[in-house]
Amino acid sequence: MKISQSAKAKTKAKIIQASVDLIIQKGFKNASLREIAKEAGVSNPTIYNYFPNKEKLLYGYIEQQHIKSALILQEIEDFHTYTLREQLQTLLETQLELYLEDREFVVQIADMVFHSSTLKIDTLYKTKEKFVEIVDEMLSVAIEADEIKEPPFREYLPLFFWDYYIAVVAYWIEDESESFENTTQFIDHSMGVIEALLYSSVLNRASDLGMFLLKTHLLSALERYSAPKKGFEGIKRKLEGLVHV
Amino acid sequence: MYKDESIPISQLARGKVLGKAILKIGANHAKTSVQKVFVSKQKKEELKLSTEYKNAKLLMDSLGELKGISIKVAQQIALAMPFLPPAYLEEMNKSFQSVPPINRALVRKVIKQELGEYPQKYFESFELLPFGSASLGQVHYALYKQKKLAIKIQYPGVAKSIKSDLGILKFALTRFAKGRNIDHIMNEISQRLYEEVDYLYEASNLDYFYKNFQHPDIIIPEVFFDISTQRVLASSFIEGINLEQFLATKPSQLKRNHYAQILFDSFFITLYQLQRVHADPNPGNFIFMADDKLGMIDFGCVKKVERAFLESYNTLHLSLIDGVDDATIVEQYLALDMIDRASMQEMIEFYKEVIKPLDRIYIEIFLEDSYCFQEHNDFSKRGFETIVEVQKKQLDSVHKLNEEYIFLDRTLLGYYALFEKMEAKIETKFAKSIMRGFASKESLFLFKDMMQK
Repeated sequence: MKISQSAKAKTKAKIIQASVDLIIQKGFKNASLREIAKEAGVSNPTIYNYFPNKEKLLYGYIEQQHIKSALILQEIEDFHTYTLREQLQTLLETQLELYLEDREFVVQIADMVFHSSTLKIDTLYKTKEKFVEIVDEMLSVAIEADEIKEPPFREYLPLFFWDYYIAVVAYWIEDESESFENTTQFIDHSMGVIEALLYSSVLNRASDLGMFLLKTHLLSALERYSAPKKGFEGIKRKLEGLVHV
Repeated sequence: MYKDESIPISQLARGKVLGKAILKIGANHAKTSVQKVFVSKQKKEELKLSTEYKNAKLLMDSLGELKGISIKVAQQIALAMPFLPPAYLEEMNKSFQSVPPINRALVRKVIKQELGEYPQKYFESFELLPFGSASLGQVHYALYKQKKLAIKIQYPGVAKSIKSDLGILKFALTRFAKGRNIDHIMNEISQRLYEEVDYLYEASNLDYFYKNFQHPDIIIPEVFFDISTQRVLASSFIEGINLEQFLATKPSQLKRNHYAQILFDSFFITLYQLQRVHADPNPGNFIFMADDKLGMIDFGCVKKVERAFLESYNTLHLSLIDGVDDATIVEQYLALDMIDRASMQEMIEFYKEVIKPLDRIYIEIFLEDSYCFQEHNDFSKRGFETIVEVQKKQLDSVHKLNEEYIFLDRTLLGYYALFEKMEAKIETKFAKSIMRGFASKESLFLFKDMMQK
């Protein structure tokens, strides 16, 4: 029997929702895959088929939220008229809003990543694909529309932005202000900095400086060091001479 | 877990930002003291002035970093602290600019957070780009149930920062107060600010004026409470142009007089009939509409007065207009808490020296049946200078100062500044008849009668 794509996605979403509920209730450690399967109303083999272990469930959750964000952004009227900064900021805010519903769950994940290192932050990298793809598209459009100049290390920028996004989530988790207003302001101000960097030619200038230093100093230094170790040999010989005499 | 401590959000961090500015101010003062030893007298004055400008700029710069409410605080301080060096006041007035803009990402967020739904879903249509700036936020155009609305949105976090900003400012300003007690000034400022950041407070003020102030030529927007929260204020959209645009159309003298007259009369009607006035005569708060009507918006700053105060205030002003003797006037100032009880001779002396210049300014408008601001285009400047002088002298003496009295006078001067810009001529008969009517307790009857005319 063949199962359609959409039916698969539905089952996946059902399992993820069940795991969020159960983990909020019992904690990550105490919630077993078996119980999650029961809560989701699927059989044990089915759940293992989708998620071989609990960690995979966490990644599944994060990926799913990225996909949801993308869908929400697609629905925004006139989103294409937003500035790059507005688009990026909307992505962050949308993401946080989705997390807000499962805040306690997200707090647990963060706790495992940042405190107990049950989860390595590197493993989270596996979940970023969709997010990076969205940011990458926004950047491409902005460059093509001549909103910003092609920045150096262009292909790495979406990855940097993901790192920044993780920092935002970490800040939000610790935020105790009313309606998380501090996070809102943190995002607004830090996006102001990012905007300034992207819209000015600071990044280009910095990379020019870097290239200049690299070419004129580092490269020549490398040449010097990779040359036969004459000087060194000489010293060695002298020292040897001293010792032996 | 880490938090970015470099962003001035906590009071401590904010204190650090300002602390840095204070350190710099100290250094600037020290620098001039060294130079002063070697320079002439005339040079000394110049140096002192330029130091003051530098210091003022430093203080304002650090307030700018605090964003949000600070600019509003700065304005209030400028008004309430006459003993600050003029350079500081100037620099503060310069920063009258707006709070940071709220971009589309934030607008969406605020609406969703406050109203529970994204703007495009909640409203039939919603312009994500603002059409105007407002106190602590900006205003958007929206369509809701077929009605045109103006939606005012507050920058997130503004309310939260008042407390820390006030604490810092009190600390910084105590230095300039030179031992004077500034508690009552800080209290007044903080109370008005808390009112101003709560849009529901403004909504109730607006609603009160909408329901109780009927003037054939004035349009006040209707509040939509079901769409309003502490940070979002929805009211009907008023179509028209602002003062600058109005003046650019080169309106006739008659038209300019007409609008100034509406504003002038409405101040006295609302003061005596409703015991409150629209206390923010910023040009942006009045909209010049078609059919010679005037729209009044932004009721974030409304001054309410007690009946007893108003009676004393009115009696005094009528006495001044009628030109009664100094002894009677002094007694009436006594009732208003503008003079402390002493021997009559001492009180008269204090009155003549300190307060009289102020009431001369007040009655200048009322002595004749009309007043032409085109001919007296320095009136509001003279007025504000006089108020500052009076406040200074009174702060230096043991005499107290009735904040309410000064506040009303200052608000009125704000209106006069508009009339100067409009180069208008106003009739004072109607206002005076309101005052006399109020004194004879027939005010309510009188209003109805007059409004029908």
